[in-house]
Amino acid sequence: MPDKPQEQNHIPTSKVQRASKFIGTGAKVGGNYIKHYAKKMVNPSLSKDELHASNAEDIYASLSELKGSALKVAQMMSMDKNVLPGAYQDKFMMAQYSAPPLSYPLVVRNFQKSFGATPEMLFDTFTTSAVNAASIGQVHKATKDGKVFAVKVQYPGVADSVSSDLRMVRPFAYRLLNMNARELDHYMEEVEGKLLEETDYKLEVKRSEEISQACSHIPNLNFPKYYPALSSEKIITMDWLEGVHLKEWLKTNPSQEARNKIGQALWEFYHHQVHNLKKVHADPHPGNFIIQDGVKLAVIDFGCVKVIPEYFYHGYFSLLKKDVLLNDAELDRLFREQEFISDQDTAAEQVYFKTVFKEMISLLGKPFHTTEFDFADDAYFTQLYALGDRVSKDKMFRNSRQARGSRHGLFINRTYFGLYSILNQLRAHIQTTIPDWFK
Amino acid sequence: MENIESNQPITHDTRTLITEAFVQHVLETGREPVSVYKFAQGIGIREEEFYSYYTSFLGVKGGVWEQIFERTIAHMEAQPVHASYSAREKLLAFYFTWIEEMKKYRSYLLALYLQPEGFRKAMPAELRSFKIRFQAFANEIIQQGIATDQIVERKYISDKYADALWAETLFILQFWLKDTSTSFEKTDAAIEKSVNLAFDLAGRTAVDSLVDFAKFLYQSK
Repeated sequence: MPDKPQEQNHIPTSKVQRASKFIGTGAKVGGNYIKHYAKKMVNPSLSKDELHASNAEDIYASLSELKGSALKVAQMMSMDKNVLPGAYQDKFMMAQYSAPPLSYPLVVRNFQKSFGATPEMLFDTFTTSAVNAASIGQVHKATKDGKVFAVKVQYPGVADSVSSDLRMVRPFAYRLLNMNARELDHYMEEVEGKLLEETDYKLEVKRSEEISQACSHIPNLNFPKYYPALSSEKIITMDWLEGVHLKEWLKTNPSQEARNKIGQALWEFYHHQVHNLKKVHADPHPGNFIIQDGVKLAVIDFGCVKVIPEYFYHGYFSLLKKDVLLNDAELDRLFREQEFISDQDTAAEQVYFKTVFKEMISLLGKPFHTTEFDFADDAYFTQLYALGDRVSKDKMFRNSRQARGSRHGLFINRTYFGLYSILNQLRAHIQTTIPDWFK
Repeated sequence: MENIESNQPITHDTRTLITEAFVQHVLETGREPVSVYKFAQGIGIREEEFYSYYTSFLGVKGGVWEQIFERTIAHMEAQPVHASYSAREKLLAFYFTWIEEMKKYRSYLLALYLQPEGFRKAMPAELRSFKIRFQAFANEIIQQGIATDQIVERKYISDKYADALWAETLFILQFWLKDTSTSFEKTDAAIEKSVNLAFDLAGRTAVDSLVDFAKFLYQSK
């Protein structure tokens, strides 16, 4: 094997360094704002688009050098277009493909700790360098008895760094996402819980097996088999699935029929999880899916699973019903239940927020209101992002004394934004399905 | 409680009998035996027999360190993949195996070496023979690193590389002694990061180019 001097050259090594990374970015972003306002004095018609674009560059450059939860937060924000202005989006989408590898001796050490054996003892072959990087771990390819496996190994100390990383992201997210502090705290707790869950690989194997079994009847959908005996808190062994990532697949110019097929499989996968299992793979970013020969969609990462509480489920999806907007008393009740409005609001505030939320809901629920929906409809997405953008800059929201929207909604919204966005990239035409009680 | 037996077969001669009994004593009482006489009596040998192996308890403690080092090297080289490791990976593998070996002696090491001020005042004298062996090993790695361009030879500084790695070794030892994380995960991270830092500094950096450039400017004046 040739010596590889390039491994692990660019990760900031200590917490202090990581913190200074953020501070550096903060300063740069501040500079961008100054530049923006200076330009604006000369040219008052200047929009904030350019500013967002240069901010996104700097934030991304900084986050991509960090591993673990900071990267996770970046991904999460990139999914939630509602939270993030349009220009940040593309940059963050790239985050999933970064993160430099772990040294092989440390991989061996993890194996010895978990199984008391080296990778060579457990498998016939095992790649000494990672073939793929995930946000909190890396993937090695292994073979045994003619079978090919994907082995995911977690970076050490990730669980410990979750909380401190989130504390570092916090002030930064607060300034840049146009969120107020109350709102941020409200959601950060939920995010922290989910991130900690993601570091528990045993739980991931358990959930992966559960969900893949429960969804095995859906056509054109494929799951890897998991091997609990070769998995531990820090290591997951599963089947190696041949296939290409969504973006690469789209470059091969697949037919409309093929794209519909993949899109439909994706839609039904989510429909079944949300409405029947009440447990959802809440991380629909393109990196978690691959397209296999014979036009099959394979789901390869179950890190983030959100359990949907019953009371939340009914309220949330009742709002997406087509006729719900007509009944004012019912709507009022649901808005309160979902924590969009509360008794602390003044009458004027209540009216204001209700109008905005109504608009948001009728837009989000649109695919549910018809039996077919064309996700290639860019006009619909422009409307969706424009609304998100408007809300994120809205003074009433920014100055609001409380967080709006149930914390459970964070991951459900993220799931749907992710799903819609992938379907949009697929330009798929979907037969939308709704649960029976919806009709 | 403590696993003194190694997976490696070792000959149970008097020398190992002495070191094992010494470790056992520290484990049970939390301190060194009061006298060589008392200690020798306890394990059924004559005092003068003790002196033909070690001159003092200092020597015995050094013997424990040597034993850990030898077993580390043996375990590390027993792995088939070891031969294909780069210099950086060899050093990483050494440290990971080393802390694994030390784990078997953790209570003993904690009793003798966990001090709030660390080794800043003075390195314990019994580490000397371990240091000599480690530096010989480190020099091999450094030579490999230089041969494969992972490490740059620099005038005057190159001679200090082995010393720097020894300082890193002491750092890792103290970090591990104080580590309370689950299965010493933080020590794993500390090793990974400190070895990377060491190799990044020893490899070609901006400073080398700067020195080179400055030299050029000076000479071409």
